[in-house]
Amino acid sequence: MSLPSSLASSLPSAARSPRAARLGGLAVLAVAAWLLPYQLNVYWISVADIAVLFALLAVGMGLVMGIAGQVNLAQIAFYGVGAYTTAILTTRDGFGFWTAAAVAMIATALTGIVVGTPALRVQSHYLGIVTLGLAVAFIDWITNAPVTNGDSGISGIPTPPLPGIDLSSQYLYYYLELIVLAGGLAFGLFVVHTPLGRRMRAMRDDPLAASAAGTEIRQLRMIAFVLASVYGGAAGVLYAGMIGYIAPETFSIADMFLLLAMVIIGGRRSLAGCVTGAVVLTIVQQELINLAAYAQLGYGLVVVLVVVFAPAGLVGIPGRLAARYRRWRGHTATSAALEPFQPLPAATPVAASGVAPGEPLLEVSHLVRRFRGVLALDDVSLTVRAGEILGVVGPNGSGKTTLFNVISGFYRPHGGSIALNGQVISGARPSQVSRLGVARTFQHLRLFGNLTAADNMLVSLDRTRTWWSWRYLCHPAGVWRYDRRLKRRAAELLAGFGLAQFAGALPGTLPYGTQRRLEMARAIASSPRLLLLDEPAAGLNGEERAQLAAIVRSVRDSGVTVVLIEHNMGLVMSLCERVIVLDSGSVIAEGLPAQVSRDPAVLEAYLGKSALRAPQATEAGP
Amino acid sequence: MQSFFQTLVSGLSFGAVYALVALGFSLVYRTMGLVNFAHGAVLMIGAYVASTFYLSARLPFAVAVPAAMAVTAAIGLVIERVLRPLENKDFDLMLIGTIGAGTVLQAAAILTWSSAGRGVNSPVQTAPLDIGGVRIPGYNILVIAVTAVAMAALTLFLQRTRQGAAMQAVAMDHEAATAVGIHVGRSNAISFAIGAALAALAGALVGPMLYVSPTMGDSLGIDGFAAAILGGFGSVPGAIIGGLGIGVIGSFAAQQFQGYSDLVTFVVFTVLVMIRPTGIFGERTVNRA
Repeated sequence: MSLPSSLASSLPSAARSPRAARLGGLAVLAVAAWLLPYQLNVYWISVADIAVLFALLAVGMGLVMGIAGQVNLAQIAFYGVGAYTTAILTTRDGFGFWTAAAVAMIATALTGIVVGTPALRVQSHYLGIVTLGLAVAFIDWITNAPVTNGDSGISGIPTPPLPGIDLSSQYLYYYLELIVLAGGLAFGLFVVHTPLGRRMRAMRDDPLAASAAGTEIRQLRMIAFVLASVYGGAAGVLYAGMIGYIAPETFSIADMFLLLAMVIIGGRRSLAGCVTGAVVLTIVQQELINLAAYAQLGYGLVVVLVVVFAPAGLVGIPGRLAARYRRWRGHTATSAALEPFQPLPAATPVAASGVAPGEPLLEVSHLVRRFRGVLALDDVSLTVRAGEILGVVGPNGSGKTTLFNVISGFYRPHGGSIALNGQVISGARPSQVSRLGVARTFQHLRLFGNLTAADNMLVSLDRTRTWWSWRYLCHPAGVWRYDRRLKRRAAELLAGFGLAQFAGALPGTLPYGTQRRLEMARAIASSPRLLLLDEPAAGLNGEERAQLAAIVRSVRDSGVTVVLIEHNMGLVMSLCERVIVLDSGSVIAEGLPAQVSRDPAVLEAYLGKSALRAPQATEAGP
Repeated sequence: MQSFFQTLVSGLSFGAVYALVALGFSLVYRTMGLVNFAHGAVLMIGAYVASTFYLSARLPFAVAVPAAMAVTAAIGLVIERVLRPLENKDFDLMLIGTIGAGTVLQAAAILTWSSAGRGVNSPVQTAPLDIGGVRIPGYNILVIAVTAVAMAALTLFLQRTRQGAAMQAVAMDHEAATAVGIHVGRSNAISFAIGAALAALAGALVGPMLYVSPTMGDSLGIDGFAAAILGGFGSVPGAIIGGLGIGVIGSFAAQQFQGYSDLVTFVVFTVLVMIRPTGIFGERTVNRA
């Protein structure tokens, strides 16, 4: 048995290593997998056949759960739909195997849409129980329906015909499966590392921030489920053709949990990890086939240990060991300094947004938003003029962030309307608002935690619609070229913001001020007409605040209109040309910063009535 | 009409069991934010332990059941201790960790009691109660009564005792609870133990109605979880209503569609959840988008 040795060679490829080493490892693995049958007897080749099918199923699970963050406990049902459709069409309706296989793939994709639909409404454990319930429903159907021949199953499924190759040989069938797996894995990796998968990972980390960056969450969730179902369907078709007989016991909830264990033990966020987990667990299960209960006990314990001690799974272990080794050797990461910001190329608002300077860009009229009877926004009307920097100030709880949330589409207004350049945007989804040219940052940073700084930028740079993804099927080279262009642009932008040396770092490892600047860079990456900054100076030191002011001015000079919420009155005074003051959900003052800060209503809102008697109270500020 | 009521009675009896299962899910979720997918397996262990005490040790049913509850409460404490590092963290990992724990319990049951199941004879041998042609087995009345008492006791515990109040506080905000000096770890352990004991009660009660086997927890766990979601996850009245709801839907589905009852139950459930994701009694925060 040489399987473990081929596995061992896969481990370096999963470690964080240069691309060449990774490709080299993959090549070694491919050769090992190709030569494997020469080492195996008839029993073990059938085990290898099953292992490859589980690997295919696991890659689908990895895409939907690990990459897109959608809990899917119905993968076994996709496997079943693929297998049963093939079986029914070939044995009952006399279809040829490949025709039946094609229909089976379509049927599985449709099942994927059905199973994915609840994900539009519910997430996490709700989605877990719904998908598990649908899997139970499917198992109930195949054990009872006459067309599936109930418990006794369907036999006599033909072997797939292939000119010149007799696929009834388990050895040759292995190669068919291996080619499908290699293709599936290659496509999966391509998706993960290009715009579609990057958006899925962003959605997994923070759906709210992803939608504000233009990601269409609903469509993306459906695509994730369809992808998972297609991998499951392909495995089902191959299973039916290999065994020639199918019965409900192959598609049980216990097998669903086994598949889940494979993905978790291997490493759910890495497709290589999913394959590793599938291969390892299939072998372990076969080795212990006569001690099934002990095997179950064992993999249950391993699952618990992995989630507690090694959440990234087997593939995460080499990286952790390497990090520990580096620490032991005394290598500490050289702390890179934030470089100065390079001003953006200047442009007029007309070029950037088609609106002449001073003309209204955003018009908010009579906006109302309630939270269970509390009026967070009470008849708010304001105008943002193209090319200005507008400050929104007010005491805590005065409705500033709610205003941003309504403008960017997170909350629907209960009354009034918002128009961007004459086009009504109130009630639109966050992704639509983003595509119309409104970008924002968040009061409490919302970077995509498991994406590198460069990937954070790339998510926002990619302005395509979700349906653009058909190119993955018909024109992958175009996707590749587009991705290269995006990456060049991301590198330029990161360099301009002085963040070039952090391109490969995860946001959580960066100092707070650097994270703030990265979030600003990410907002600019979407080429907005209007930029909403929610307390951009919170937590920054004096020097960082000065840099922020320079960045905001440069952004404005590049043709972008800026609205900022800020508590630091010094910054507001120096930066903003106009200030709007909110209190208890209403606009109480509007005008030049110097005027507003002397307005009695503003002083009262900030300091209370008694402060008005104090003659020296001239500057409002908490 | 008579058959309608007959089906309803049977649905309510199973619904009472589902309500107990749902309550265990809800209690643990409220206090720890942890969805315990091992709950079904704990129930199965409870059913086996109770039936072993009752059949082999020949203890009275009224003694065997509390003994089984004590055993599973201890198992619950072990599971809670092992999974404690995951509490209030990554949801996927918690879900999978508890599935792993459930797998271990199921394997342990197979090794201890073999994979063949066992029947348990009913501890109530009286003739069924006959109300206008609707026959209600005495045991079903016992199940509904015991469930009602357990619910009432739990509600009193949560609302009238110091420890219950502490658990409520942890459920609302575990950081604030820590700040006012509540031992969150102990509170979580107690809620997990109570949840496990409720599972054992459900398992022990359902033993004579079904068949005790290592896989019995799978479907009961899924149905009970569905009940908790349907009623509104984390809510005590929600668990009761959801449990009775799933029981009645399942019972009518079984009568109308025979073998397809699971299929109908879960399709109906999926549609209900999509219409009202917060369940009947709503949860304070639901992750929708």
